[in-house]
Amino acid sequence: MSEIAAGGVRPAWQSTAGAGADARRAAPDARRLLQLVLAGLWLLDGVLQYQAFMFSKGFSDMLAGTASGNPGVVARPISWDATLVGHHLAALNAVFATVQLLLGIGIAWRPTVRVALAASVAWSLGVWWFGEGLGMVLTGDVNPVSGAPGAVILYALLAVLLWPSDRGSPARPAPFVAARAVGTPVARALWLVLWLSLAYFALLPANRAPQALHDMIAGMTDGEPGWLAALDRGAASLVAHQGLAASIVLAIALVVVAVGVYRPAPAARGTLVLAIVVAAVFWVFGQAFGAIMTGGATDPNSAPLLALLALAYWPARAVAPAPAYTGPARAEEGMAAS
Amino acid sequence: MIPSWILDIFAAIMLVVAAVSAARLVAARPWQHRTRPAALADIDVAHLLMAIAMAGTLAPGLRTLPDGAWEVIFGVMTAWFGYRVARDAKVSGVRALAGGHCAPHLLHAGAMLYMFVAVSAPAAHGSGGMGAMGGGVGGMGTLELPFLALLFALALVGYCIWDLDQVSGPGTSGHYSLAVARVAPPSPVLAGVGASARPGAAASGTASAPAAAVPIAEPAGTAQVPPASGPADGTGVLAPWVATGCRIAMGVTMAFMLVIMI
Repeated sequence: MSEIAAGGVRPAWQSTAGAGADARRAAPDARRLLQLVLAGLWLLDGVLQYQAFMFSKGFSDMLAGTASGNPGVVARPISWDATLVGHHLAALNAVFATVQLLLGIGIAWRPTVRVALAASVAWSLGVWWFGEGLGMVLTGDVNPVSGAPGAVILYALLAVLLWPSDRGSPARPAPFVAARAVGTPVARALWLVLWLSLAYFALLPANRAPQALHDMIAGMTDGEPGWLAALDRGAASLVAHQGLAASIVLAIALVVVAVGVYRPAPAARGTLVLAIVVAAVFWVFGQAFGAIMTGGATDPNSAPLLALLALAYWPARAVAPAPAYTGPARAEEGMAAS
Repeated sequence: MIPSWILDIFAAIMLVVAAVSAARLVAARPWQHRTRPAALADIDVAHLLMAIAMAGTLAPGLRTLPDGAWEVIFGVMTAWFGYRVARDAKVSGVRALAGGHCAPHLLHAGAMLYMFVAVSAPAAHGSGGMGAMGGGVGGMGTLELPFLALLFALALVGYCIWDLDQVSGPGTSGHYSLAVARVAPPSPVLAGVGASARPGAAASGTASAPAAAVPIAEPAGTAQVPPASGPADGTGVLAPWVATGCRIAMGVTMAFMLVIMI
């Protein structure tokens, strides 16, 4: 009797069953697809970390720069870390890049998804402090358009929300993917805190200044391809001397997004679409696609992660969910049960 | 500047991929198949050539052919896989792009062609071309149309992640499987399946080509199909996951090269 007939399921690379077992292989569910996107982002980050700039003094200087404006207790470890990196630039940056590469591979490789997600949380928190100065949120000089509160903390949040466990039951499935691991109230609260904090950042005095948004967008054009620089210059001219109005409009939109997940499904979908649109605007005009094309980006910035988060909160259809893949052992249990 | 030892590591990985691909070709012996030998060998040939080209790009000491020759090779390769994807699309529709196994090879070939065509010489090194990359650790060539490089890199990363998920997932799936994708002998029941059916077709990762034989699973407890034997039985170096592993390694390396040349 074949193993599949007996109910056991092995990874494809271990399988001895025939190719005709296609039909028995469950297609990735929504959460797995989101995990794969997260894995892809980590893999991309790893590749970006190998860029020439990261092996130059500019990288350690960039790290050291995140200490500026932060409280001493936050800044001192950053300065120490930047000095250490500066002294062992090639070796440490190669380690940084490889770790991120392995995180991506680990999340995509099903047997290691839990380990990789857990490691990604720890790594993200470390990078958020030592590499991004806690997203500069304590400095009062952050803007959600340019990536506050820091892309890397969103990686940690996504790893938690996409953790392969289920709090729901077949009778009462989670209303959206992000609620499956932490429960609906916690997931909604995390969303609310994130987007309200973005709204708060948008209204900081530094961002309400007449030329604040203009200067921020115009500053993104350095090193970008001509078409993107022209696009950003056009956007910057649109918001010239409109800092206060732009901040208020943006904050209202962000508050609408924040409370949207508490609304019924149709309204929630509408606000999630708004969240994705806002993220797209951030990515093109405020983040210049993460400045990847300048050769100095360590990640694609926060906007793709905000969009991914929005998809994780997309209301599920009112049908009984298929058993999700939650790790090797659980997959076997699920197959045996079915 | 990127330390040369990092480029050397990636080049070494490519040499391993080239060696594995060559071993697969030798083991599968596609030249012994009278019909459609190209369809049996194209993926391993593509892996072999791309790995050699990338190794030579990453490490100047491993450079083999001039850039112009590689442009022709990858132009032909892109056209070949484009033809195969189009043929698959006639049968499977857009699923040929998403799930067909020729689509990633079309992407790889296109990315290689783009890298050789779009590279511009580093200012400090007048030699130009992709050959300047390995030697240009301190003066690397850059790619024109960097947005295209970004798109290629994203697509390559996407396919790598998808491959990793599929090859590690429960069950098996066509060319992801370690399975012996046994092929039914010519039978009146299988219309359109003729003498071209060979175990090597599946072993070479071409089992899902529409015109190829239909791979069938061994039903539980009923081994109606004679077990494949010999080197072309989809085990060892011919296991489909080996080809997928090579593809993942090449995808990551290619994305790395594209990004560092932006």
